[in-house]
Amino acid sequence: MKWLLIASIPVYLFGSFRRPLFVAALLLQLAYLAGRGLSLGRLPLIGPGDTLAFFSCSIALMSLPFLYVRELSGERRFFWSCGGLAGLFALLALLFPTLNMPLPPILDTYWFELHVALAFFAYALFGVAALLGGAFLLKGGRGFLDLQYRAALTGYSFFSLSMVSGGIWGYYAWGTYWLWTPKELWTSILWLFYSLYLHLRAKGTDWDRRFAWLGICGFLVTLFTYLGVSMLLKSSHSF
Amino acid sequence: MTTDDDLHRSLTVLKQLHNRLCSLNLGLWLMAGVMLALAVGSFARGSAEGAGLNDLPLLLWLREAPLSFSWWLWIAVALLAVLCLNAILCGIEALRKGRSLAPQLMHAGFLLIALAHLFSAYGGFKQQFQLQEGGAIGFPGGECVRVERISGETGSMGMLSAYRADLRVGNGALSGVRPNAPLFYKGFGIYLKEVALDPVPIALLEVHREPGAPAALIGALLFTIGNLMLLMQRRGR
Repeated sequence: MKWLLIASIPVYLFGSFRRPLFVAALLLQLAYLAGRGLSLGRLPLIGPGDTLAFFSCSIALMSLPFLYVRELSGERRFFWSCGGLAGLFALLALLFPTLNMPLPPILDTYWFELHVALAFFAYALFGVAALLGGAFLLKGGRGFLDLQYRAALTGYSFFSLSMVSGGIWGYYAWGTYWLWTPKELWTSILWLFYSLYLHLRAKGTDWDRRFAWLGICGFLVTLFTYLGVSMLLKSSHSF
Repeated sequence: MTTDDDLHRSLTVLKQLHNRLCSLNLGLWLMAGVMLALAVGSFARGSAEGAGLNDLPLLLWLREAPLSFSWWLWIAVALLAVLCLNAILCGIEALRKGRSLAPQLMHAGFLLIALAHLFSAYGGFKQQFQLQEGGAIGFPGGECVRVERISGETGSMGMLSAYRADLRVGNGALSGVRPNAPLFYKGFGIYLKEVALDPVPIALLEVHREPGAPAALIGALLFTIGNLMLLMQRRGR
């Protein structure tokens, strides 16, 4: 099955500036994840191998609506940057072994799957927002910034829902909707970061460049929350 | 004349204070400050898990932990308190001016969640019990919950793939607890954390009281409704 994931990488990296090829790579990844899900009997959301593949697929899936908006119809470099980002994380996924064990009883609930899947959709949209911020800084054009705002707002909504579902799961699993772990601290930081970003919109057009930069920095905070905390800090709430 | 001047001066000072407290700039700086405090806290010596922060209600932990451990959390809580005040005043101002309801619902949700944390920080409770079959947990009022049976299924990899404990509560009824399926009794939640079957069946049970949970849930619902309304409003803009 892994060949589906491997096959998607060159298509993303070398062909995603064309929308049909972008979609083809996404379909390959979806087929890989579906096959893996069927063989495990659950969503593949445990361990860096599976989560990176899921993240990569989420980036492509969440990019898709932006590839078809009127404002970005001829922006092939933007298509390619979305595909490149998805390809990069798919490539990273190959570096880690996949975990083929059944879910531990504490994770065996829909709340867990909902919590993690929503978080990855949010991370993916923050990635798309960062790319749109980069496009604004390179080419100008307020359309990029408006789309960046929409991507970040939608990502923020997914992320908030992920936190709510995580809180409900935590209450049923551990007796509390909140635990003081580095992961939770960084989740709060990420949520506050995008709260700040969305509030900054009210400052007006003078802040456009800073707004774009903030959208880019947000993705770095996202990556630290997802990968950095698990790799650099000691947290019981990890992959 | 002097009294009028004093009154006027006081009103001006109050108005300035109000304007400052409900300014967007203050809100942005406070958010940045809370983020910074939490980020430093995640690396600090008294960081979250290492310092037993999950074992005690927050206010008790703050009172007992040395300042060298808890300083980052004191800063975060203080900034968060001013941020809540900022959100309340901004919300009132926006409603007075007839602005969109969606962000105000989100603010209200955020405030309720902050309040929920305060309730739990004050009245939260957690205690672990390691019990064999026949062992009991005592509750206020003299009632107890007794462990009747501990069972589990071993999966293909040799680990327990499912486990449960059957508990006899005060009125004689039998209830099972499993991971993600606690028993709520007398305002407490009884959670099954771990089970070992050899040499004798033994269960690790945790009793929790989380007084902030209802407020957190209502806050989350309000926030989500406001968020969805905002998404609808911003669609196509």
